[in-house]
Amino acid sequence: MKKSLPLIAFAIAAATLSAPAAALDAKAAEALVRKSKCLTCHAVDKKKDGPPFRETAAKYKDKPEAEEKLTKHVTVVSKVKVDGKEEDHETLKTDDAAAVKNVVQWILSL
Amino acid sequence: MLRERFGRLTAWLGARSPWLLLVVGAGAMLVLAGGTAAGLKWTNTEAFCTACHEMRDNVYAEFKDTPHDRNASGVRAICSDCHVPREPIDMLIRKVRATGELYGKLIGIIDTPEKFEEHRYAMAKKVWARMKKTDSRECRHCHTESAMDPELQSERAQTRHERAKRENLTCIDCHFGIAHKEPEGPGPQEIDFAGH
Repeated sequence: MKKSLPLIAFAIAAATLSAPAAALDAKAAEALVRKSKCLTCHAVDKKKDGPPFRETAAKYKDKPEAEEKLTKHVTVVSKVKVDGKEEDHETLKTDDAAAVKNVVQWILSL
Repeated sequence: MLRERFGRLTAWLGARSPWLLLVVGAGAMLVLAGGTAAGLKWTNTEAFCTACHEMRDNVYAEFKDTPHDRNASGVRAICSDCHVPREPIDMLIRKVRATGELYGKLIGIIDTPEKFEEHRYAMAKKVWARMKKTDSRECRHCHTESAMDPELQSERAQTRHERAKRENLTCIDCHFGIAHKEPEGPGPQEIDFAGH
């Protein structure tokens, strides 16, 4: 018991310290998504011009490259096809990498 | 008692001069009509609608800083612009229906954020149904389709509106969840509003 005490203390510290870092701010994600006009083409559950976020989450479930791929998609302008016509896929209106990460994780959590 | 008093007043006026009775009568009707109109107008104000916290803390808070509230030109819409018909008869019918909301207020049907979220979809659906039924009449109070210059619209908007024309869509089919938080659940294009 005495030997494993430091280990237990470390485990507890690690758990409590990593918790805030892992915490998802859904409200902030929703606000940024709204501000960036993503909802013009995407909804959480319905099909609009783009796929619903839930569909994206399902598509990338348990895929290791998910976060990287999505982060690129929302920060670098790319081309998407809507109604047979190619259009620019817009990006998140923020320079804050943490905010971007929050949004990507929120989408993947849906 | 009152009928007797009224009868005696009109008789006295008429006796003095029929014209006096006419003028006083017309004056009284003007006051009544004016008062009613003013009262109705008051129930269409932003202050009136947001007097209830159910609206103020939920949909009104969401509405703040959206394009219909705040934009480059300063042209804005308030609650009644989108939710209350402008034609007198339609408006009166809506006002009578709205008295049901007093009952809702009494029983506190949406008086907490949790209760509000529970009912959000049902409320949104009602609004969408009305708008689909009237071909987005309230939108058209300000947005005149024939006056929309496609060349001044973005390419994206042009493409979308061409599609809307092709598929016979109405404004609300795509422009929903723009003033208030979009609820989860099937949207206007996915719901069958009794064939409308």
